[in-house]
Amino acid sequence: MKIPYSWVREFVELKLTAEQAGERLVNAGIEVASVTPLAPDLKGVVVGEIEAVERELGQGHGGYPLFLCRVSTGREHYSVVCGAPNTKVGVRAAFAPPGAVLPGGRRIAAAKIQGVESQGMLCSERELGIGEEHEAGILEVPDARPGADLVAELGLDDQVLEVEVTPNRPDCLSVLGIARELAALTGARMRPSTIKLSESGEAAKSLACVRIEAPDLCHRFTARVIRGVTIGPSPSWLRARLRAVGLRPISNVVDVTNYVLWELGQPLHAYDYDTVADATIVVRRARTDERFTTLDGQERVLDPSMLLIADPRRAIGLAGVMGGANTEVTDRTTRVLLEAAWFAPASIRRTSRALGLRTDAAYRFERGADVEGLVTASARAAVLIAETAGGTIARGVVDAYPRKRKAQHVRLRMSRVKRVLGVAPSPAQARKVLAGLGLAVKSRGADLEVTVPSFRRDLSMEDDLVEEIIRVWGYDRIPSTLPGGAISLVTHPISLRQGQTVRRALVGAGLAEVVTYAFSDPARAELVRRPADPKPVELMNPLAQDASLLRTHPLEGVLGAVSTNVRRQQADVRVFEVSKTYVQTAGAEPGRASLRPPSAGAGLTDPATTEPRWVAIALTGARGEGGWSGSPQPVDVYDAKGMAEHTLAALGARAGSGDAGSLSGFEPDCHGTLVTEQGVIVAEFGEVAAALRESFGIAAPVFAAVVSLDAVGATSAAALSYQALPRFPAVERDLAFVVGAEQSLTAAQIESALREAAGPLLRRLVLFDVFRFPDGRSSLAWRLLFQAEDRTLTDAEVNAIQERVVRRITETFHITLRSS
Amino acid sequence: MAHPRVDAIVEQARAAVAAAQSSSDLEAIRVGVLGRQGSLTQLLRSLGTLPSEERPLVGAAANVAKRELEGLLDARLAATAESERQAERRRRRLDLTLPGRRPPMGSLHPLTRVHDEIVSIFAGLGFSVVEGPEIESDYHNFEALNIPRDHPARDMQDTFYLSDSTLLRTHTSPMQIRAMLATKPPVRIIVPGKVYRRDVVDMTHSPMFHQVEGLAVDRAITMADLKGTLELFAREMFGPRSKIRFRPSFFPFTEPSAEVDVLCFACHGDGCRVCKQTGWLEILGSGMVHPQVLKNVGYDPEEVTGWAFGMGIERIAMLKYGIDDLRLFFENDLRFLKQFA
Repeated sequence: MKIPYSWVREFVELKLTAEQAGERLVNAGIEVASVTPLAPDLKGVVVGEIEAVERELGQGHGGYPLFLCRVSTGREHYSVVCGAPNTKVGVRAAFAPPGAVLPGGRRIAAAKIQGVESQGMLCSERELGIGEEHEAGILEVPDARPGADLVAELGLDDQVLEVEVTPNRPDCLSVLGIARELAALTGARMRPSTIKLSESGEAAKSLACVRIEAPDLCHRFTARVIRGVTIGPSPSWLRARLRAVGLRPISNVVDVTNYVLWELGQPLHAYDYDTVADATIVVRRARTDERFTTLDGQERVLDPSMLLIADPRRAIGLAGVMGGANTEVTDRTTRVLLEAAWFAPASIRRTSRALGLRTDAAYRFERGADVEGLVTASARAAVLIAETAGGTIARGVVDAYPRKRKAQHVRLRMSRVKRVLGVAPSPAQARKVLAGLGLAVKSRGADLEVTVPSFRRDLSMEDDLVEEIIRVWGYDRIPSTLPGGAISLVTHPISLRQGQTVRRALVGAGLAEVVTYAFSDPARAELVRRPADPKPVELMNPLAQDASLLRTHPLEGVLGAVSTNVRRQQADVRVFEVSKTYVQTAGAEPGRASLRPPSAGAGLTDPATTEPRWVAIALTGARGEGGWSGSPQPVDVYDAKGMAEHTLAALGARAGSGDAGSLSGFEPDCHGTLVTEQGVIVAEFGEVAAALRESFGIAAPVFAAVVSLDAVGATSAAALSYQALPRFPAVERDLAFVVGAEQSLTAAQIESALREAAGPLLRRLVLFDVFRFPDGRSSLAWRLLFQAEDRTLTDAEVNAIQERVVRRITETFHITLRSS
Repeated sequence: MAHPRVDAIVEQARAAVAAAQSSSDLEAIRVGVLGRQGSLTQLLRSLGTLPSEERPLVGAAANVAKRELEGLLDARLAATAESERQAERRRRRLDLTLPGRRPPMGSLHPLTRVHDEIVSIFAGLGFSVVEGPEIESDYHNFEALNIPRDHPARDMQDTFYLSDSTLLRTHTSPMQIRAMLATKPPVRIIVPGKVYRRDVVDMTHSPMFHQVEGLAVDRAITMADLKGTLELFAREMFGPRSKIRFRPSFFPFTEPSAEVDVLCFACHGDGCRVCKQTGWLEILGSGMVHPQVLKNVGYDPEEVTGWAFGMGIERIAMLKYGIDDLRLFFENDLRFLKQFA
């Protein structure tokens, strides 16, 4: 919100510069994004009057005709070319004579336009850098004296504070609020009110009637009547103020309501009195599907949660949000009915959001307006309307106030201040701070009895006052100490420990960790969805259609990372992610989740959805960096499997090759699992299905592995235990077997038979060579290491074992020993 | 104690050694003279065939000659072998500027690095880690934290909804509620995790990011303790010269609330590009747990007080590593990631 500093100083006697004031506000919790001069670098621009339009010069840039005008600044006369649509004899406007400087250091000099010399330039708001308006033409300053300095005339010699007010402080959404805050922070005096209400004629009460039918949503509604107004443009000073805060001047009466909104924070609405049936205002809920056309010309469909301002016949305003087209102030308006009211914040917010209609008025009402202060705002606006549009103010105000605000008292214990902050000012100092904020304070022994004014709706309990005290007294007065109390054991959840273990292992293995968005594309989710899967978790209000689901497949993140890198000319990608998928528990709809905690002992999670945890690994391109000593091999499925095995080993989980996996997204003939002895699948690996990979725009094969951290966590890791080192020498034997081309025999099958046949003296078994003959037969070679704990093995002993093993294997599997 | 036969062998051997070109020549001489079939060995073996008066003379002379030749050969061999090794090295010409054969280097994501650092600092201060669900109920994320429906404070966090009552958590603060509901005070936890806001991606916004929540509740815990704790954290995180300052702010679930700035470590408060000339960098939001929040979890605000804070991991990482674009964290370009190897 833009707050011109000169305006603030109309309310409070400040000796600070605008920058200092801004800093003071920041230190008290009112964010000030910037302090900027209103009209930077505007020099020598004056008020010029068009004395004569001498001739037309043909068309200018915008297709508008160009005119040669004579412009007077009182003493001097200039020949000026101007193409503005509002070029007219008698117009007084912003004029930059030769020598003047416009924003951006643009120095004006006499120049030839269409062959005619133009001595200076008549300027629009945009050209002056003080507003956006340009199409409407040159900036008119009708009531200014020709030759007057424009900067002084329009109050442009000013600084603007851009304040950002937190939702708890609606009282600061106005010039008055900021002034009040600065007075409290600096001890400066507030200036007395300057509103001089001069009422005459009939009483407002006899001219208008207000009936509140929904007192729960409208606690107060006041109306004033101003008669005999003439609608027209506002005076220059008022227009300049509105422009300075970013509002567009419209006409005097409307401008005044906006001005007072900005100045005092109270939204007001002006109705054309003669369009309100029976001069009677009815504040009521809308009927179901009631239709109403707001000021912006849009027809809105309403419901009974929304509050309407109506007359006995029809709706005339959407309470607190926007007025109606049917009662709007127009050029023909002569009598004005001025509304100043208080509406329930939640209702205004619901209405404004439901209709997508965010207005300055709604913004303030939904945060809470000042139910007592609105009378002053109404008077201030009435005075300004009479001043700028003529007319007389009817006597008094129609004031319907069914829910009168009760005085708010809060007791503050000084001991509580110390208890919360660890430090406290003296009671006298605390009283001074609170009094400075406009709170009435009485001492009650060691405590303070505080009465909160109507504009501070945010102060309702003791700790609110604690904050006020330290906010003004200064947060830098809080000392630094460390919490005492009993020491308890620091514990970390298994999820955290697993994550750290996995990261250490995989980073050590040369993989890069990635972190990716949990959002997913429905088209892709469809690609990896199996028929029995629950529906993916869907966002009601996604940012984009292709990010409208939560991830259902653990590989989505890493494949995205592979895709990014491959597209950026990095073909070798070896990455992993510790991540989650998001699953709706069967039968549970997220909508069923209770609004209240299910029970006092509610756990750390809710049952409607689960978030399984995974390690996802993706590999593509070469196995290593490569270099001068030889190029590395491309990765294959055994790299992916190895990474899964490595991860499981790091986690202390024992697992061996298992049957087909259950995850989708792998090529069916290249998809394996690792299972625990209990038969639990803890990892799946394989080549990523071409369709999935291509949906990420990846052309090269990708090998991937997925480890379920939940499954691993559920298995108990074997406790580490030392085994004595062997004291006697080992004997090594190599055995190679040839498997027929038609035989569907796996290495795991042979290996397990080997172990069994070899017996307890077999210490180590390593498959060290695999190759395929041209005819399709394969050779698998194992190295067997035999060792006894209590003696040196003899050749004869080992030979006997070897013979037994060979016989068993060749007979069981009908395969042959390969003769060397 | 010479003997002509021995002398002849020695003379010949000396000449041969002198003429030898390589270690293999020398080895050949050693074999030819001192080897099993060598001339001197043969002579010694044939002592028995000599007249008995000659035997001791020849024997003694031969043994002397044997020692002499052995010494001579060893010395020459050592010298020759050394020059041969040098020659071999010259021939091989190792270019030690060739790059070494390195194992592949992995990298920890910068967000993980910062996460781990935060966790370890607070573990050192007695804070246990708790983790919680990203899919949250409106109750835990908002209502219980004093952010009712139709309250403008909801605008502070634009929310992804899954239904009327479930959403993607907008902060890690709902875990304050879950943790306090699950245990009795004292509580001293931090909660790292992913959070979501409905913000379009740009240099400083992301619909998903990471936070760490801190919560301490006990019989006598004050805002001064919060300040002291965060000061310690800042010094560990950003260096021993770090200073922090508290600025008043507003969060519906803390009262009083404070925004915490750390003294700009690029300029030490003088003002620079990093801190936008302010001398300070905003790093987190904090405050005393609102009495209503304590009541919501069944704690008595007259019995216990507490404080909480929440910081964005991305924000800290950006400051710490000088990263100027939030998007880099989630693009996962290897050229970015490998900088954190």
